Parts: sequence; structure tokens; C-alpha cells
Amino acid sequence: MRLVVRRWKEGWRAPRYDVFEVEADPSESVLDLVERVSLKLDPTLTFEHACHHGVCGACGMVVNGVERLTCVTRVGDVARNGVILVEPLHGFKVVSDLVVDKSRMFSRYPDDTRTLERVAAQVEKLWDCVECGICYSACPVACSYPSYLGPSVLAWAFHRAVEEGRVPAPVASRSGVWSCHAAFDCSEKCPVNFQPGEKIMRLRRLLLRGAVEVV
Amino acid sequence: MRRVVVIGGGVTGAAIAYDLSLRGFRVTLLERGSAGSGTSGRTHGLLHSGCRYVADVEVARECYSENQILRRIAPYLFEKNGGLFVAITEDDLRYKEFFLEKCEEAGIPVREVSREEALRLEPNLNPQLKAAVVVPDGTFDPLKVILSFLASAKKYGADIRLYNEVRGFRVGGGEVKAVKVLDKVSLREYELEADFFVNATGAWANKVASLAGLHVPVKPSPGVMVALDGRIGNMVFNRLNKPGDGDIIVHHRGTSVIGTTSWVVSDPDEVTAPKEHVELLLRRGAEMAPIVSRMRVKAVYVSSRPLIGQAAQTGREISRSFAIIDHSSEGVSNFFSIIGGKFITARLMAEKMGDVVCEHAGVTAPSRTAELPLVPYWHFYG
Ligand SMILES: Cc1cc2nc3c(=O)[nH]c(=O)nc-3n(C[C@H](O)[C@H](O)[C@H](O)COP(=O)(O)OP(=O)(O)OC[C@H]3O[C@@H](n4cnc5c(N)ncnc54)[C@H](O)[C@@H]3O)c2cc1C
Ligand code: SF4
Ligand code: FES
Repeated sequence: MRLVVRRWKEGWRAPRYDVFEVEADPSESVLDLVERVSLKLDPTLTFEHACHHGVCGACGMVVNGVERLTCVTRVGDVARNGVILVEPLHGFKVVSDLVVDKSRMFSRYPDDTRTLERVAAQVEKLWDCVECGICYSACPVACSYPSYLGPSVLAWAFHRAVEEGRVPAPVASRSGVWSCHAAFDCSEKCPVNFQPGEKIMRLRRLLLRGAVEVV
Repeated sequence: MRRVVVIGGGVTGAAIAYDLSLRGFRVTLLERGSAGSGTSGRTHGLLHSGCRYVADVEVARECYSENQILRRIAPYLFEKNGGLFVAITEDDLRYKEFFLEKCEEAGIPVREVSREEALRLEPNLNPQLKAAVVVPDGTFDPLKVILSFLASAKKYGADIRLYNEVRGFRVGGGEVKAVKVLDKVSLREYELEADFFVNATGAWANKVASLAGLHVPVKPSPGVMVALDGRIGNMVFNRLNKPGDGDIIVHHRGTSVIGTTSWVVSDPDEVTAPKEHVELLLRRGAEMAPIVSRMRVKAVYVSSRPLIGQAAQTGREISRSFAIIDHSSEGVSNFFSIIGGKFITARLMAEKMGDVVCEHAGVTAPSRTAELPLVPYWHFYG
């Protein structure tokens, strides 16, 4: 098995691609493979990970050209001719190797962000959206327009709009729902089927109908 | 201002950085990987009610009290849906009286419910269940809790350095003078001086302490967890019996996690999940919730508890569930290690660690982490 990793460190002029030859089991996750390389072959390899079971959103990477949560992506399902190429997510500034700076997503959260969804009278649930940033990486607008609020943040705003009949002004501005090109790559690549693209469209319709207030 | 270096960016190190920053120390936290990339990220995400530990009432009480504090300081981080302890076999049923008695002794509010009620609350439970008790469990996304502690530490001035690995120490005159660090972001090696050093590297605590010629009696004890592709309930499913393998199913976001097993290793960097453990978890999980056998497995993961070895129990008794090791008995006066505990007792562990550092520094500021609201995780960025 050959793991190819895009490397970049502070001060480098250009990225570099490193090749690691490793034993791998087709049923293990791409993340486990990357972690093993960092433990056995190159301790300077940096990447983000925490839960290893698809709930925290830390481990998003571009694997053989496609955005994925690497902890729930099996080696055998994505390797091509025994090769796996991992690169950092697009649409964010690279910090080091596979680590990107996700502040363009998190810094857009309003202070009263609701992290819990009420699914029944007595039942609370953290939103399915794991805040991985994959939808930004997949979105042609987010990748070329840095002030775009981005798919997941707008999808959350849609839920707030439905619940409260209100959205903050930036959501209804040029950097908000009106920038979306309806490419739906976000929904296509979202690992939890949160459907940010569809939610942006629905929020637009609510705004056009005057069904939500802009505050 | 007194400088403290905290080593380890798991939940324990994050909470210590917060506690000490609040008390006026200048804190630098060093973590070799990303936040929560050790054991803390890889847990069930169970906000224990304490009921699992009722065999030791003191430990159970400690859990319940932290459970209540966390709900208060960060309600937005936890799915507060409670849990159920269910008896499936006659043997389970025999544990019930003891269990209820001990819960009462520990002051944990629990309520026995009928079989029908339990199945109405959680239709995926085994319909053959013989008894059910509702308890104040909850669940969480571990990374978001860790990031909230880190964001809170940052707010009070802590310098959080991820991808900064401790490679050695400069020791002299009965003290650690500086820590030697490899910064993996800039590929630079540097030394950092401080007045105090706190080793919060969990299962790695002995590996790190040995770089300073010191010893920590930690026994890395891995456990396997299996995440299902789908969510089969809301309240945590616990087997009503003594804690054992495969007796918890925890639900959060879109998944349910079955846990766990337990063994001991010498190096937490050399751990993989044995196939038999996965089979055992699925079988035991299906005893509580038969639907488990029809679900696809989304992920198998493993991490190591920083279990306390024998020797530490003769040391300073801060708590029955965790240990703070003051290395002055080994000739180093400003270096402390902390091991044991649980994810959800990290705040308390940090408070006690903070007390120890304050005592050595002659600082009287009390811990304030139980009162102040935690800063939400998204403030860690930007
Ligand atoms: C299988 C399992 C399930 C669990 N489930 C739960 C649960 O549901 N609820 C609960 O409350 N508790 C649970 N626990 C217990 C809990 O996860 C741990 O007690 C807790 O996470 C330990 O945190 P820590 O910060 O002490 O250690 P860690 O999270 O391991 O942090 C130590 C950090 O030190 C870093 N480090 C190591 N070496 C160096 C170095 N040289 N330089 C810099 N940094 C270094 C590591 O990368 C790591 O991030 C579980 C434990 C296991 C094993
Ligand atoms: S909407 Fe989907 S892709 Fe976007 S951050 Fe949330 S989980 Fe990730
Ligand atoms: S490590 Fe948490 S989603 Fe992959």
C-alpha cells in the first residue's frame, strides 16, 4: 500500500508530496493509516483527529480527489491501484500538512448558536452536522469567495429561520444565501447528509416570500 | 506572573490550562497532535450519572456532582436525555436491590420504571427485559468539550500550542528548568522555561516523565468501541450489573456506540482493536438491543485509559479515582503528573491540580471553574 501525503510547513515556498510504503488492512480507516504513518514513520506529519467514529468533524481530508471524513472511510473502498493520496481540505488556509484553519466557518457562528436540536418534546440531539468543513472544500463559491458564509453556517441559519422566523442580516446578504450557485457539491459530499444546498434554497424561498424577518 | 507549562491537550490538560489561567498563572499548553487526539477524543462520549460506579459510593458521588456542574456551565454541549439501566437475565435482576440502595446512598436520583414504560421510552431495547431504572446520564461530542475548555483557557490568556511535542527536559538543581519542544508546524526545536510543569499526558504520562528521569505508575489500559451506522435510541443503555465488557450503548448525533473492553499494554502507541473484541461487543450489545445485529458497523476504534498502577495508591490521596504525583520524592520539586479519572471528571481533576500548583507557588486564588460558564468551542477559532 502506498500512502501519498501533501506536505506543507510554515515558511515553505511550495508543497511537497511524500510517499510512504505501509502495510494496510482494507477494512481499516484511512485515518488509522495516516495515524500509523505519523507514529512509525514520520512524527512531524500533522493532521486533525479526535473521535475516530464520525461525530466530531476533525478528520476531513481530500482522499484521491474526494472530500471525506477519513475515520469512516475504509482503505479498501478508496485505494486506487494500491495508492491513496491525501490532501488538506480546500477552501481553508493550510496550517501544516493536512491541518487547515477552520476559523472561516466557526468565527461566523452567532454567539447564541443553538448546538442542540429538539427532536421531540423530551429529546435533545446535537445536530447531525459534525462541523467538518467538507462542504466548504467542495463548494466552488466558498473556494473562490473568502467572505461567503458557507454551506453549513447557512444550513444552520435555515433551521433557526424555521424555528424563530428570523435571520441575521449577513445571512440574507451577498455574502449569504444569494452567493450560492446551486452546484450542490456540498450536499453531494456532506458525510452526514445534512443537505446544506437544499437548505440554502429553502431559505432563499422563505426570504423571497417575506416569510422570515431580517434582523 | 508565575509561568506553568501544561503537557497534554486531552480533556485533563485543557481543563488544567483553564483552571490555572483563571487563577492568574501564565499558561502554555503543549500537545503533540491535534486537540483530543489521544484518549480523550476516543471515548464513548458518556456523561456518566455515576451509577456505573456505585460499588464505590465515593466515586459515584464524584461523577454525579461533576455531571451536574458540567450541565450547568455548558448545557449546550450535552444531549441531556438520561439513561436506562436494564436487567436482561436473572443474574442482572439480582444486582438490582444493591444498585438501587447504592444509588440512594450516593445521592443520585434514579427511578425504577415498568417494562412497558422502558419500552415506550426506548422501543429498541430487548422486549424480554426484566427491570429498568432511569438515571441522569447524558452524552457529548468529546472534541467540542475539549475545545470549549481550550477556548476558555485562551480567553484568560493561555497559549495553546497544538502540534508541539515534548522531546526532553533540562533538569538541574532539583528542578526542571525547561522543556524541549519540537514544533511540527514550523519544524523548529526550542526550549521553554517555566516555574512549574504539569504532565497531563494520560496513558503517555510515564513516557513523558521518563524524559526527565522520573516515573509515573500509569498502566495504559485500552478499550474497544464499535460505532453503528445509525442511531438506535436517545437514552444511554446500560446493563444493570457490575461493570463489564460490552455493557454500554451511547447515542449521539447520528450514531450509537457500543463499549467497551479492557486490557493492559505497555505502550499506548502500539494498540489495535482485536477482532474478537468487536464480535464480543456486537454480541453483548445485541443482548440489550437486538436491532444491533442488523446494523452496519461504521467504525471501530480504541483508546487507552490512564489507569493508576499500585504504587500511586500509596501516594497522596486526592481522590479515589485519580492521582496527582508530586515528583519531589524523586528529587524534582516543580513537576507534577496527573493520571486516572474520567473524561467527565476532568474539571475536578484540574481544580485539585490547580490547588497543588497554587500551594507550591504560594497563591491563594480559589478555583472558579465550577461557577463560570464555559466559553463555547467555536471561540477557540479565529
Ligand atoms: C475505551 C474508553 C472509553 C471511555 N469512555 C468514557 C466516557 O464515556 N466518559 C468518560 O467520562 N470517560 C471515558 N473514558 C475515560 C476518559 O476517556 C479518560 O479518562 C480521559 O480522556 C483521559 O484524558 P487525559 O487528558 O488525561 O488523557 P489524553 O486524552 O490521552 O491526553 C493526553 C495527551 O497527551 C498528549 N501527549 C502524549 N505525549 C506527548 C508529548 N511527548 N508531548 C506533548 N503531548 C503529548 C497526547 O497526544 C494526548 O492528547 C473512556 C476511556 C476509554 C479507554
Ligand atoms: S453540512 Fe455536512 S459537510 Fe458541511 S460541515 Fe456539516 S457535516 Fe460537514
Ligand atoms: S475523527 Fe471525528 S469525525 Fe473523524
